[in-house]
Amino acid sequence: MTTPQLAVPMRRRRPPYGRRALRRNLIGWLFLAPAIALIGIFTITPFAQAILLSFQSWDGVSPDTPWVGLANYDFVASDPIFWASMRNVVFFGVVGFFLGNGIALVMALAVNSVARGKTFFRTVFYLPGVLSVVVVGLLFSFILAPGSGILNRLLGLVGLGALQQNWLGEPAVALPVVAAVFVWFHWGFGFLLFLAGLQDVPKELYEAAELDGANRWSKFRYITWPQLAPVTSIVSLLTLLAALQIFGTVQVLTNGGPGQHTMVPTLAIYNEAFVNWRYGSAAAMSVIFGGALVLLSVVQLAITRRRSRA
Amino acid sequence: MSSRTTGRVDEMSIASEPRRGVRLDKVGLYGLLGVAALIALFPLLWMLSGSLQSLTELLSNDSFLPADPQWGNYVTAWVQGELGVYLRNSVIYTGSAVIGILLVSSLAGYALARLDFASKGVFTFVILAVMIIPAPAMFLAQYKLLISLGLTNNPVGYVLILITSGIPMSTLIMRSFFVSQPRALEEAAALDGAGPLRIFWHVILPLARPGLAAVAVIQGLGAWNEYLMALVLFDDNSLMPIQRGLTAFTSADTPQQQILLAATTISIVPVVIFYLMAQRHIVKGIGAGAIK
Repeated sequence: MTTPQLAVPMRRRRPPYGRRALRRNLIGWLFLAPAIALIGIFTITPFAQAILLSFQSWDGVSPDTPWVGLANYDFVASDPIFWASMRNVVFFGVVGFFLGNGIALVMALAVNSVARGKTFFRTVFYLPGVLSVVVVGLLFSFILAPGSGILNRLLGLVGLGALQQNWLGEPAVALPVVAAVFVWFHWGFGFLLFLAGLQDVPKELYEAAELDGANRWSKFRYITWPQLAPVTSIVSLLTLLAALQIFGTVQVLTNGGPGQHTMVPTLAIYNEAFVNWRYGSAAAMSVIFGGALVLLSVVQLAITRRRSRA
Repeated sequence: MSSRTTGRVDEMSIASEPRRGVRLDKVGLYGLLGVAALIALFPLLWMLSGSLQSLTELLSNDSFLPADPQWGNYVTAWVQGELGVYLRNSVIYTGSAVIGILLVSSLAGYALARLDFASKGVFTFVILAVMIIPAPAMFLAQYKLLISLGLTNNPVGYVLILITSGIPMSTLIMRSFFVSQPRALEEAAALDGAGPLRIFWHVILPLARPGLAAVAVIQGLGAWNEYLMALVLFDDNSLMPIQRGLTAFTSADTPQQQILLAATTISIVPVVIFYLMAQRHIVKGIGAGAIK
């Protein structure tokens, strides 16, 4: 306490070299060390190892991982299961993106415009989002069961018995049904973000527009939509990534079936490794698929950044 | 809206029409919200109801309510499914992961927000960049890495993976939180001669409670619901977290539907209670995590 007058100016005039700078750097690095160490060991190393493993052959047990060059990629290139999974996941992505985010936005607008019950609806709408993929998968495998499943019984009850079917067993129906379960599970996430974004739109903008006689559509088109743009772009990216990485829901619900009609890449990678014991080709799949996801994120982030700069 | 087009009628209808329009709008709006709420809740209510029925009732009745609640289903699920073990494991893993994430990410977030040191930009970039590496690209190699470290079928290995996957987003949340805080207290503590670590522990962390709470609830939910790595890493039932345990129960014992419904209900009780209690933080945390 005796030297504050001295300490202040010395602290402010940080010399670029010498012991003081070294000490400062060390303190900064020390604070970051745990984070960087964990990321280095458990994220960056495996990421690099996955690429390496995609050029090797490994059965998951033996210590040898012989180099096989491009053999894994050759194998994956002609693997019908993997490419079926890629096609399916594009479908999940499109449905999750348009349907999921469309519902999320409409419901956020609706909740934002009611006077009463905001908290109740917000709570209920995000509730499915706190469940696990396993719970959702098990629950819907019962609800959608052929014959005695509750959905089929409900349809019978309201006179729509003609629509009763084996929801998860029919090749043409299973994929859209699993996508619908995904939307049920995930739309609350975009909803929460849209709702938070709506609450941040300055009220004065609407008041000014009302004075100008703007109708509801033009208020949405010229105020709400542009004001929500940052939220929309981040919600788009995150829901798209979540849809493309879908795994547990599908594994528990259909395990990719019937046939490969609901197979998704992460499940294909898992099966290739842990069921077929071909870790090398599984790694090649994960490099192809993971690379595509990384590319997608980079492109989306670049677009967002350029737009926000413009 | 429609009132404007009929603006030339008598005053009465001009006065009453918008009001009726508003009322109709309101009915439509609440109708839409009600239907959405029903769709969101129905599967869960059905699960609750089904978990209290006997199998024959579950597969036949059309009233949707258990005629004679079978509380015994819960006992059967708990005992047969060994849910106590799985829940205990999940509590331990989730708790350790959250504590680890809070410590590591608040240290890192503070450094990025407040401290001044060489290569700060590089570290910031690394932490941002690893966020775009998706789990499907890594989980195989993480498994291989944990084998070579002898950490498969091991709580430590699993918790380390959980912590690492939570670090980037949490660090960014904490960083933006620290940036928004005034510097006055830290400066005062520094003048008193406190070192950076002491300032961090005694001054910064206690004030960072709102930020820490947001991170804790979001990462807590994520860790509780994690499935892929639990599936890959655990063979030993006594070590499995609840999500992995549920699938183990399903495939090993092929329990009847109502027992499984009771088991899934039990498994979501902690998370639903947590959600209802910590809602405010969850909304804030999700917003902070996604937007900042």
